Amino acid sequence: MKSDVVAQRTIQLAFLAIAGGAWWFATSSGAISRLFLPAPDAVYAALSRLVGTNQFWNAVQITLATIAKAYGLAIVAGVLAGYLVTRSRFWMEVFEPIIAGLFTIPITLFFPMFILFFGIGPGSKVAYGATYAFFPIALNTIAGLAGADEKYLRAARSMGASRFDVFRHVLLPSAFPVLLTGLRVGFFICFASVLGGEALASIAGVGRNIALAAELMESARMYAWITFVVLTAVSLNLLVTSIENRVAKAEGMSR
Amino acid sequence: MPVDTAPDLADAAISIRGVTQRYAAAGAADGVLALDNISLDIRRGEFVCLLGPSGCGKSTLLNIVGGLFKPTSGEVLVGGRRVDGAPHPDEIAFVFQESTLFPWYTIIENFRIALKLRGVAKSEWDDRAMEALRAVGMASFARHYPNQLSVGMRQRVNMARGICVETNILLMDEPFAALDEQSRMVLGEDLSILLAKTGKTIVFVTHSLAEAVFLSDRIAVMTARPGRIKTIVDVNEPHPRAPDFMLAPRFGELRNDLFAMLREEIRVAMASQRDPVGGGVT
Amino acid sequence: MSALDSAPAEIMGMPRGRAVALTRWAIIVGAALALELYGRLFADPSFFQPLSAIARAWVNPIMSDERIVGALGMAVFEIALAYGLSIVVGAAIGMAIGGSNFARASFLPIVLLLYAIPQVSLMPLFVLVFGLGAASKIAFGFSHGVFPVIVNVVAGMRNTNPLHLRAMRSMGGTRADELRHVVFPNMVPSFFVGLRLAMTMTMLGVILAELYVSTGGIGYFTRVYAENYNPAPLFALIGSLAIIAVAFNSLVRVAERRLMPGRRPTARLNLSGARTK
Repeated sequence: MKSDVVAQRTIQLAFLAIAGGAWWFATSSGAISRLFLPAPDAVYAALSRLVGTNQFWNAVQITLATIAKAYGLAIVAGVLAGYLVTRSRFWMEVFEPIIAGLFTIPITLFFPMFILFFGIGPGSKVAYGATYAFFPIALNTIAGLAGADEKYLRAARSMGASRFDVFRHVLLPSAFPVLLTGLRVGFFICFASVLGGEALASIAGVGRNIALAAELMESARMYAWITFVVLTAVSLNLLVTSIENRVAKAEGMSR
Repeated sequence: MPVDTAPDLADAAISIRGVTQRYAAAGAADGVLALDNISLDIRRGEFVCLLGPSGCGKSTLLNIVGGLFKPTSGEVLVGGRRVDGAPHPDEIAFVFQESTLFPWYTIIENFRIALKLRGVAKSEWDDRAMEALRAVGMASFARHYPNQLSVGMRQRVNMARGICVETNILLMDEPFAALDEQSRMVLGEDLSILLAKTGKTIVFVTHSLAEAVFLSDRIAVMTARPGRIKTIVDVNEPHPRAPDFMLAPRFGELRNDLFAMLREEIRVAMASQRDPVGGGVT
Repeated sequence: MSALDSAPAEIMGMPRGRAVALTRWAIIVGAALALELYGRLFADPSFFQPLSAIARAWVNPIMSDERIVGALGMAVFEIALAYGLSIVVGAAIGMAIGGSNFARASFLPIVLLLYAIPQVSLMPLFVLVFGLGAASKIAFGFSHGVFPVIVNVVAGMRNTNPLHLRAMRSMGGTRADELRHVVFPNMVPSFFVGLRLAMTMTMLGVILAELYVSTGGIGYFTRVYAENYNPAPLFALIGSLAIIAVAFNSLVRVAERRLMPGRRPTARLNLSGARTK
């Protein structure tokens, strides 16, 4: 068993090493144009230069603020909508397919409308990111609240629980894991759509800077931005996953 | 029954000799001993129950007999051939605790696969399948998917699939455990009738005392882990057995005797389930 | 389903299902009417137009301008090709990774790592490498669609019931029989979850790239209409794409129903697909 794990880690490291090696080899041998793929050290140099500039921190700040606003709106709207819709089984059956159906259409389609309504500034990105993230949050809130096991509700009622008690002690805890999934999915969708929105049409922000570097054919700079975004996203993902695993473990122990 | 010249060995359809099974486990250097030196001969056409507290390794023993697990030491002979951790589908059919009908195939398709793997000619598949389904009164459900049937119906069909391949030996691992008591009794009767008709050798794992007494020729009572054979009880009642047998005074006596023998083992088993080194908690 | 009121079988003298569907349609029609009224009475025509005006714009210019129809047709082609590639490549990679515990433990973390990358940040790169034409859109759609397929194929192969495998072995099945009769059929529902998600993701990738490249195709027209404050044809164009998206989704669902007899489609609420343990 143990030797298997060692072998698996070796394969994973080898994969990363081969990918890195291929990158280095392809650029140093001149097999790939520097325009498409600059050398690793050029990207590193561009990244360290970038991090020292005000322009970098301005862009990051704008994008972070946009994400925070969009995500906050999406949480409030999504959880509220999910709660209201699950107040009755009838309205849940009416609305859930509408929300789920809309979410199978790429919301990106409507991006030009957001630009039309909210202009090219951060406002359109907030609205677009919030709209996109609303769906997974609302759908998971519905699934969580509607999925509580009947027997616990009956047990709570038999003990004389009020409506609020039922919500506080049964509905919310049992919906929590599903709700959490919705919040996580919503966050990463929000993150990606704000960046995408900035790349598509905007005047500032991280996404805009990636697109700008591409337009100006400054590929080392573009890769530096992409590296920054990828590292941020991957570390956020790892962080969230480890928190979730810890929560799941704690829950598993308490049950 | 064909009469064999060599008395003891050839008469045994299944011969279990000194089977021991150890599991690797954290906190126990040489592993957990699940089965300790079990020996048992099962005659042709005999119905033997393995009865014991949960966790005593009776299912493990059945899987070893069926060649699905390999014992740490000891051996199993089936029809004089050594079972060495490989299934013998020409000799042995298995019926599992839960329905193992494949949910993506209809009932009849499930039977066809079993018959195909058994090497039955394609032209006979449907006839044989329908015959087995009729035997358990499920012929009209041949085109249904397993999920469209109730638990009891599924298990009935599951049993029929084990029968349709017409092996000499049928191994049944708590096949009725998921059923309510009434369905159990009805299926038990069906099984008793089948046994009388086909002369199959059946090894049956159960933890139900009544089921063991009602169905068995002999009952092998096992101890709590590590599993050993504590004693063997003879039932001495011809098959097919009528439901009346359950009302006979002897039925109750046997049942009470078995419970008396098991009670101590059950207490041991329950205590070890609380003990992490015993590894009973899952 | 519980926290909810108990469900009466009939509502307003109708069977429950019909009452639900009717209400749903009433809401949709009501919303459309409200938009129409809002467009006619209150809205600034350079930002919003009534649905009737949008419908007229759909007939002309959207459906009568060859270039726009051509751009829409191109988008359909790109989505179809990117989706087909996602399925074939994703299924092949997924089966290779899911085929053994060892391969899964080795390679799934790599796939999940790549899946976690926000691909929008790579969009300019795709255009740089593959150019302004269809190739970059197909490649971007493919890179979105392939991951959900891989992850769900791997998950589907993993969730094989060990009892089914044991039954197969006891009946004398070989590894090939196991794969054919147990592992693959067991994977089908999860595979379709992947296919549905992959469709949404492929469309997202293609449309993102289409909008990003504003010198031609759909991106060009949306930019022109938006910049000229001409909402009616803009909405009609977006509506056409939405209809295309719905059509593609329905196609996947029809295929699912056809190919998966006797079983209900699995729940659709696990939307991310990103996390499979």
